Amino acid sequence: MGFIRRLFKRDTASEAEKRVSTPAPKPIEPKTTAPLPPDEVDEQTPLQTRPLAPPKKFDSRRQQIKFASMSDIGQVRTNNQDACLAMMAKADMVGNPPPMGFFVVADGMGGHHDGELASTVTVQTLVQHIVQDVLLPQMEGFEPSADQKTIPEVLIEAMEAANQAVQAQVPNGGTTATCVVLRGDLAFIAHVGDSRAYLLNEGNLELVTRDHSLVRRLQELGQLTEAEAEVHPQRNVLYRAIGQGEALEVDTATRRLPPSSRLLICSDGLWGEIGDEAIMRIVRDTPDPHSTCERLIEAANLSGGHDNITAVLIQMPD
Amino acid sequence: MAQSNETRSIQEPDQDSLSIPDGALQPGQILQNRYRILGVLGVGGMGAVYQARDMHFEDVPRLCAVKEMINLAQDHQLREQTFRNFRREASLLATLSHPAIPQIFDFFSFGDRAYLVMEHIQGKDLEAILNGSSQFLPIDQIIQWGIEICDVLSYLHNHRPEPIVFRDMKPSNVMIDHHRRVRLIDFGIAKTFQMGQPGTMIGTEGYSPPEQYKGEASPAADIYALGATLHHMLTRRDPRLEPPFSFDQKPIQAYNPAVPDDLAAVIMRSLAYNPADRYATADAMKQSLEALINGGNAITPQGNFTQTPDAPQADQPAAPEMKTALEERHAAPAVQHTPGRASQAKPAGMSNVLPIWTFKVEDAVRSRPLVHNDVVYVGSYDNNLWALEAKTGQLLWKYPTEAGIGSSPAYSGSTIFVGSSDRRLYAIEMRSGKLQWSYKTEGKIYSSPRTAAGMVFFGSDDGYLYALKPGASTGREVFKYPAMHPIRSTPVVDGERVFFGTDNGDFLCVDFSGDLGWRFQSRRRILSSPVIHDGIVYFGSDDWYLYALDIEMGMSVWRFRTRGEVISTPVIGDGRVFVGCADGSIYAVDLDNGRESWRYEVGEPVTSSPLFHRESVYIGAVDGALYCLHSKSGELLWRFQSSGPILSSPSIADDIVYIGSDDQHIYALPG
Repeated sequence: MGFIRRLFKRDTASEAEKRVSTPAPKPIEPKTTAPLPPDEVDEQTPLQTRPLAPPKKFDSRRQQIKFASMSDIGQVRTNNQDACLAMMAKADMVGNPPPMGFFVVADGMGGHHDGELASTVTVQTLVQHIVQDVLLPQMEGFEPSADQKTIPEVLIEAMEAANQAVQAQVPNGGTTATCVVLRGDLAFIAHVGDSRAYLLNEGNLELVTRDHSLVRRLQELGQLTEAEAEVHPQRNVLYRAIGQGEALEVDTATRRLPPSSRLLICSDGLWGEIGDEAIMRIVRDTPDPHSTCERLIEAANLSGGHDNITAVLIQMPD
Repeated sequence: MAQSNETRSIQEPDQDSLSIPDGALQPGQILQNRYRILGVLGVGGMGAVYQARDMHFEDVPRLCAVKEMINLAQDHQLREQTFRNFRREASLLATLSHPAIPQIFDFFSFGDRAYLVMEHIQGKDLEAILNGSSQFLPIDQIIQWGIEICDVLSYLHNHRPEPIVFRDMKPSNVMIDHHRRVRLIDFGIAKTFQMGQPGTMIGTEGYSPPEQYKGEASPAADIYALGATLHHMLTRRDPRLEPPFSFDQKPIQAYNPAVPDDLAAVIMRSLAYNPADRYATADAMKQSLEALINGGNAITPQGNFTQTPDAPQADQPAAPEMKTALEERHAAPAVQHTPGRASQAKPAGMSNVLPIWTFKVEDAVRSRPLVHNDVVYVGSYDNNLWALEAKTGQLLWKYPTEAGIGSSPAYSGSTIFVGSSDRRLYAIEMRSGKLQWSYKTEGKIYSSPRTAAGMVFFGSDDGYLYALKPGASTGREVFKYPAMHPIRSTPVVDGERVFFGTDNGDFLCVDFSGDLGWRFQSRRRILSSPVIHDGIVYFGSDDWYLYALDIEMGMSVWRFRTRGEVISTPVIGDGRVFVGCADGSIYAVDLDNGRESWRYEVGEPVTSSPLFHRESVYIGAVDGALYCLHSKSGELLWRFQSSGPILSSPSIADDIVYIGSDDQHIYALPG
C-alpha cells in the first residue's frame, strides 16, 4: 500500500515547477513591522475575507482531466435499466475556454422496459440542455454577464425538462439522476434520487449527495438505525425521482476539485453492494479511471451483483 | 382491445405515440356517439380531462367532464385485470351519494383508453386558489373547508361493506365550486392503472403518511393527508418541496403567526407519525375543527351527511380559548426560516441592550467605523473624519474635509486614508490627525479605499479606479483604470488583482499593471462592495441578485435572487454568505449551492452591510435598529434601537460593536 502511495505522491521539486502557473501572491507589506494582534478584527483584512493562498490549480494547457464510465447488468437482473454518459471538451484557442465536462448516471425504475426508457430519456434530455446552454456558449466565448443563465440554473431546468419528458413518454417509469457539469476545476452537481456522487481527496471519501430514499429519511428522523436501513424491505423506495410528479425539487451543490482528487458518480447497484470502505480503497489505489471503473464493477459483481452497476469516474491531474 | 359492439366515432389514436398531447381528443370529436368534446380542462399523468357536451340533451347545453385514462399495460392479462379494476371502481363510485362527491354518469373503455363521464364542476381547486394569491388565506375559511372535507371522508370511511379510503388527498384534488362547496375530484380511479414492482419507488406527493409506503392505506392515511393539506393551506409551504414527514420540524405558527394554538394542535395531531396517535375517525377531527368556529357551536352550513348513527366517540382536545398568537406578536417583525426552528421575535421598537458610550457628531454617519489600536475612526456627512478613544468615546481629534464623507476609512502603517465628496482622497497621520497629503480626482469619492500590497485603491465618481502608492508627503499614481462610470463600491484585492463594481452594473477585474483582466455585466448599478472567499467573489447588484463569480475569469458559479436591490456588502462566515436587501430582509445563503439557508425579515430596507463575528451576524436597518442574529438559524439574539435610520455598517473589536446612525450618533454596544 505504501509503495502505491509513493508512486502517486509526486511532490518532488521538479514536478512542482511543472505545476500551477499563477504566481504566489505577494505578501502584503504594511509600513510598520509589528504584526497585528490576532484577536483584533482588522478593517483591512477582516476575519472573514483574509486572503487565502489561491487554491492550487492545474495548468489546463499541460495537464489532462481523465475520466471513464462503465455500466454492467449485474448478476441478477434481466436487463440493464441504468444509463450513463461521460464527456469532456478541451480546447486551445483564443479566449482560453476552460476544459468542460458533463457526466450523468441515471438508474431507471418501472416494469418491463419502462426503467431503461426512463433513464435513457433522462440522459438524452439532460445532455441536450447542457450542450446547448452550457458547453456551446462556453466554447463560443462570450463576455460573462447576467444575461446568461448560471450553470446551476441550467441544470435545474434540464432536470425539470427530463421530468416532463419522462412523464410524457414513460408514464409508469421513473429514474434517479445524478449529474455533474465540470468547468475547469469547479464541479456543479445536480441530483435527484439515490444514485450518489463521492469526492475522494487526500485519502478522505466524502459523500457529496444526499439519498432521497425513504430509509434515509427515516434514519434522519431517528426512526431507523443505519443497520436497520441496510436490510429494510423498502430500502429501494424513493420519495423523490424523475418522472414521478410535477413538483420536482433538485439538490444542487458546487465543489472545487483539488489536484489529484477524484469524483465518482454511481448507482445504488455499486454503493449498496460494496459499501464506502471498499469504494474508497479501490478509487484511491487504482491509477487510472478505466481500471477503477472495472474494479468497482468487478467488486460489486463478486459481492452478488443484485442490481445494475454503473460508475463514472473523473480524475483531476496532480 | 376494442369492444366490437361499441361504435367508434373518433379517430383511432396512434398506437405508437405515447405522449399525451399528440393523442388527445380534439374539439368536435364525439365519444360513444353521445359526448361531443369541447376542449381540454386539464392534463394529468394518466390522461386528459375534457369538457364535453352530452348530446342526448338536444335543447340545452348539458356539460360534463370526461376523464380519459390511458392503459399502457403491455401484457394482455394485465390489461384485462386493469380494465376489470376500473370497471369495479367506476361502479362503486356510481353508487355513492354525497354533495362533495361528483356524480358519475357513464363509463366505457376501448382500445387502450378508458373514459369516465362525470358531473362538470366549475370552480377552482385549492392549489389554484393558493397560487392565485400571495397572501395567507383566511383561517376561518380554511377551517370551514377542513370541516367539509372531514364530512365527506367520514362518509367514505363508513361505507359498507368496505370502507373507501380516498388515498389521494391533496389541494389539487379538492375543488371549491361556484356555490362555495367542497368537491372531491380525482377519485383514485387512476390508481388502478399504476403498477407496482419490487424495487420500484412510489412517488409521494408529500401529503402521504409513512405507512402508505408499505401499502397500508387506511382511513388514518386520509386523515394524515388532510392534515398535510390544511398545513399547506395555512402556511403556504408545499410539503412536496420539503423532506417527507418533517411537519413537526415546521411549526405552523413559525410560518403563519396568525394561526391559533388550538387549530395548530388539531393539525399536528392529524399529522402524528404513528397512525394510532392521530384522530381515530374523520368525524372526531371534524368535531375538533367545528369547536374552533362559533366557540363550540357545531353547526355546519351544509348540514351533516354522516349516515352512521353511532359514530365512535373520539377524545377531543380541550375547549379552545381564542387567543391568537398574533396578539402576542403584535407589531413584531415576522421571522421566516427555510428549514428552520421557530423563534420568537422580540417586540419591535424596544432595545434590550444599553450603549457603553455614545458620541454626537454634526450630521449623519453612513460609513463603517474603522477600529485600530483602540481608536475608532469614522467619517460623517458633517465633513469631518473623527478619531475617538475606543473604550470611552473620548475625542482625540477631528479632521475637516470640504464636503461630506460617505466612505469608510482605511489604514496602512500609521496613515488613515479616507475619501470625501469634496473629490479628494486624504492621507492623515493616525495619532496627530495632521494631513500628510491629499489627492484630487475629478469626481466625488464615495467608495471606501482599500489598502493592499503597499498601495491604496479607491474609486471615484469620475469613473476611474485609482491605485496610489502612498509616501510621506504625497500619493503617487501607479495607475488609474477608466471604468467610464462612477465607482461607489469599495474595491477588494486578491493576489495581484483588484475587483470592483460600477454604477452601470459592470463588475471588473483589473491587474496591478492597470490592464483589464475580465468584466462581468450585471443588469443594474453595483453599490455593494465585493468580498472574496476561496477563489470566488461575492457581490450584490441593484438588479436584485447576489452574485458568486469565479475570480479567474469572472464566470458565474451561482446567483441568488432576492426581491429588492442588494446594496449591502456581503459577509462570509461559517459556510454562508450574509447580506441585507432593500426588500426588507437579511439573507443567509449557503456558499456551496447558492440556496437560502434562512431569511430574517426586518420589514424596512436593509442597505447597510452585515458584520460576522463568532456565530453572530450584526446588521443595521432603515428602521433605526441594529440587529444581532444567530448565524446558524437567523434567530434574533438582541436588537438596539437608535433614533434614525442606520445606513452604515458596524465594526467590532474586543467584543464591542461600533455603529453610526443617521441620528448623528456613534454608538458603542456590548457585542
